[in-house]
Amino acid sequence: MKGTLVRVSAAEFCEREGVSHSLVVELVELDIARPVAGEQVQDWVFDDAGARWLQKALRLQRELELDWVATGMLVDLIRERDRLRRENANLQRALARFLDG
Amino acid sequence: MEFKDYYQILGVDPEAETKDIKAAYRKLARKYHPDLNPEAEAEAKFKEVAEAWEVLRDDTRRAEYDELRRYGGRRPSDFEPPPGWRSAAEGETHHFSGDFSDFFNSVFGGGFEEAARARPMRGQDVEIEMPVFLEETLADCSKPVSYRIPVYERGGQRHMDKSLKVTIPAGTMDGERIRVRGQGAPGMGDGPPGDLYLHIRLVPHPLFDVEGRNLTIGVPLTPWEAALGAKVQVPTLSGRINLTIAPGSQSGQRLRIRGKGLVGKLGTGDLYAILKVVMPQNASAEVQALWRELAAKADFDPRAEWEDAS
Repeated sequence: MKGTLVRVSAAEFCEREGVSHSLVVELVELDIARPVAGEQVQDWVFDDAGARWLQKALRLQRELELDWVATGMLVDLIRERDRLRRENANLQRALARFLDG
Repeated sequence: MEFKDYYQILGVDPEAETKDIKAAYRKLARKYHPDLNPEAEAEAKFKEVAEAWEVLRDDTRRAEYDELRRYGGRRPSDFEPPPGWRSAAEGETHHFSGDFSDFFNSVFGGGFEEAARARPMRGQDVEIEMPVFLEETLADCSKPVSYRIPVYERGGQRHMDKSLKVTIPAGTMDGERIRVRGQGAPGMGDGPPGDLYLHIRLVPHPLFDVEGRNLTIGVPLTPWEAALGAKVQVPTLSGRINLTIAPGSQSGQRLRIRGKGLVGKLGTGDLYAILKVVMPQNASAEVQALWRELAAKADFDPRAEWEDAS
């Protein structure tokens, strides 16, 4: 059975989340995710991480009742926080290897 | 079924105005939203808070809930809706997209679920964690997968065990997901089956750390190897290679070994060897004498900067 890396088309995303193509364009303009393929919005394809950021942005906007600019800023900050956590974990592990054994 | 006291969950008075309930919801949502709060219990707490707001934000639902609360609040741990209960809000779309409690579904959603079950429906997607060793990411690799899927039949739900062999494409990274089409739960009615998602987790390696596509490995050296230079054998994911250590190497120096990292869509990463000078633990009298001779002859003060600065 062949597994394939998850890719999500804009049409699939819109149908699954019940949102319009124009909202997807707005989310891309806010830099929440970038399509990995496709020229026009109808042909856009997102990788799994991109589709998950779009979904996360929708959820945050709905559930915290934010406007889209605030949502974009929040996503930026969460992404930066995640990156710093990963980097910190890597550095801690490297330091532990360096100091031990 | 447990009766949910939505006012208590949001910490508001049952007579509170909607704007005060909204303020309480926002404060708790900010505190417990799973995208903002990584603690394990935050998600469950957020669902509870969001469900409470879902009911209390809507005047019709809130009035119905208040009626039930007067009726059912007396036996909070053993609640059943009154016989013939049917909510006016059944089947409405919800503001909150997560799962609701049994209490919510039995009070506000039962008719909607039954109606949905009669239609052909796509089967559920199933997501499982898939541990993968670094070595396995270098080429396409076939791995056995066992998981359980829910199967709906007349009269209820049961679980079925499933086993497959799945080919994981080369270059798959930590956190990525692999989709195997049609291998999720079977559909209902004439609905198509769901998909199986494998959430890739790279297993920590005893020697290598991962930095994106690159790998790092600590290379212990004797003080004389660092001083005089040496050739040492270094393990990589695909066998050992010889690494040349230059004379006068320092602890912490990184040496790049091209093309010995992880396979990627944009090319293969590199392996970085991080040098670490290690002192021998037990020195014989003869070796100690040699260190003393070195101390007398070597003109080296690693703390010279302190003299200049103080």
